[in-house]
Amino acid sequence: MRARLLLAGALVAAGAPASELIVFEPQEIRRIVSHGPWPQPVLRDPSNRASGNPAAIALGARLFFDARLSANGSVACATCHVPARAWTDGRPRAIGLSELDRNTPSILNAGLSRWFGWDGGADSIWSQGLRAMLDPREMGAGPALVAGVVRADPALACLHAAAFGAGAAQRDDTQVMVDAAKSIAAFVATLGSGRTPFDDFRDALARGDRAAAARYPLAAQRGAKIFAGKGNCSVCHFGPGFTNGEFHEVGVPYALGAGRVDPGRHGGIKRVQADPFNLLGKFNDDASGASATKTRHVEMQHANFGQFKVPSLRNVALTAPYMHDGRLATLRDVVRHYSELDMERIHVHGEQLLRPLQLTPGESEDLVAFLESLSDPGARVEPAPTQGISRCDR
Amino acid sequence: MREACWLVALVAAAPVLAAAQCDAPGAKVESDRVVVVYRTVPAKLAVGQHFTVEARVCAKGAGPAPTALRVDADMPAHRHGMNYRAKVSAKGDGRYVAEGLLFHMPGHWRLLFDVDGGGRTERLAADLTLE
Repeated sequence: MRARLLLAGALVAAGAPASELIVFEPQEIRRIVSHGPWPQPVLRDPSNRASGNPAAIALGARLFFDARLSANGSVACATCHVPARAWTDGRPRAIGLSELDRNTPSILNAGLSRWFGWDGGADSIWSQGLRAMLDPREMGAGPALVAGVVRADPALACLHAAAFGAGAAQRDDTQVMVDAAKSIAAFVATLGSGRTPFDDFRDALARGDRAAAARYPLAAQRGAKIFAGKGNCSVCHFGPGFTNGEFHEVGVPYALGAGRVDPGRHGGIKRVQADPFNLLGKFNDDASGASATKTRHVEMQHANFGQFKVPSLRNVALTAPYMHDGRLATLRDVVRHYSELDMERIHVHGEQLLRPLQLTPGESEDLVAFLESLSDPGARVEPAPTQGISRCDR
Repeated sequence: MREACWLVALVAAAPVLAAAQCDAPGAKVESDRVVVVYRTVPAKLAVGQHFTVEARVCAKGAGPAPTALRVDADMPAHRHGMNYRAKVSAKGDGRYVAEGLLFHMPGHWRLLFDVDGGGRTERLAADLTLE
């Protein structure tokens, strides 16, 4: 495989017709190829016994859009994670029962993540769902409310019984609420985005197909070269998902005003370690304990303060505004942020990863063209109605 | 209790082993006084995947007996370490298992072995590069 990549690099670097395919260094090609293949398989979540279960997915799909799960009946998961907006909401900061401090991340491809939320304060999709249900600023629900909705609605109760094997009436409120969150997680894990123009380019480079690679727009080619080359963006926006799944400080202020700060990952580690629904707890269905390795070993560090999760760049052109607090309206603003990075905002004792990219206007446009090529037009499409369980649909 | 266990990276004393017992297959790092032979599980490391280090620690020559091992890693060029703390367990006969490591970025990493013995700690480093 390595030999093939090197060969592809040599082919492109040696004889590329500049009008169609620009020259890429072998390391740039290796990095670009590392952003695929796509799509990636989503494995069953061992912590969630409902993962992959059709009845649970059908139940989760219904609950995801059900505002009865909020304290005043006005907020559903889909209030912030709007399918037509690539499963985010287009707002700088999310609005649940009240306004929150952070931007709504897209849930597309969530099944590939290690941590959930900008601070990684949840270690599974289902515990992230519980966090939203229980937070008084988001949905403000509780076990009795969620369990009551599931028990009182015949179709939901039927799906619950089909998915979990025992009627909601026989399980306590907290367990039914966890079942609901695991069903929603089973549904969310089915939401993957499709192929993009970049993926065709990447695959062409991987197989050394110069003609196919040359069909990728020149501006995006130049942007890809910056991304994988001098921009060094691939180091954090790593792999097929364009994220290393971890947390970094990128010079975005985290003061919230009125003496409040957003501690980012520092608070997220505290939260996940204290969470009764974390993977170290009794609700984890993985008897092997392997799924809890990250939670068992994650380490709180001073440098975590002000760090936020590296977001995936897949579908990034569809998910404005940007950064953890939605302060940047456009991709051009984001590129400008990294081009003119204010090093005064970076922790003196933190990691040394970033420097101002000092891009020319043309280079900035090229990088934007590359980022725009990472989007799947289908990412904004409402999913087809989930196939239910026929006996529950009567 | 669990946190306390994590914090106790200093692991129980291991018996003295001659360097010859560190001739087993595996990668080797050594100083004038200490030899560490190790292997990672899985053998091929990937960014973003937890792995385990199995190590054997031996005294070299007339050096003092190693009594404990800690395992960590860093990226010198980025001036950061891992986001996860390895838990090291002594298995007897100078053998140790470190669990929970994860390299979260591509590039040059140093796998760090801190070996206690003779009233001092010696750091050995193995260079690894991930793409």
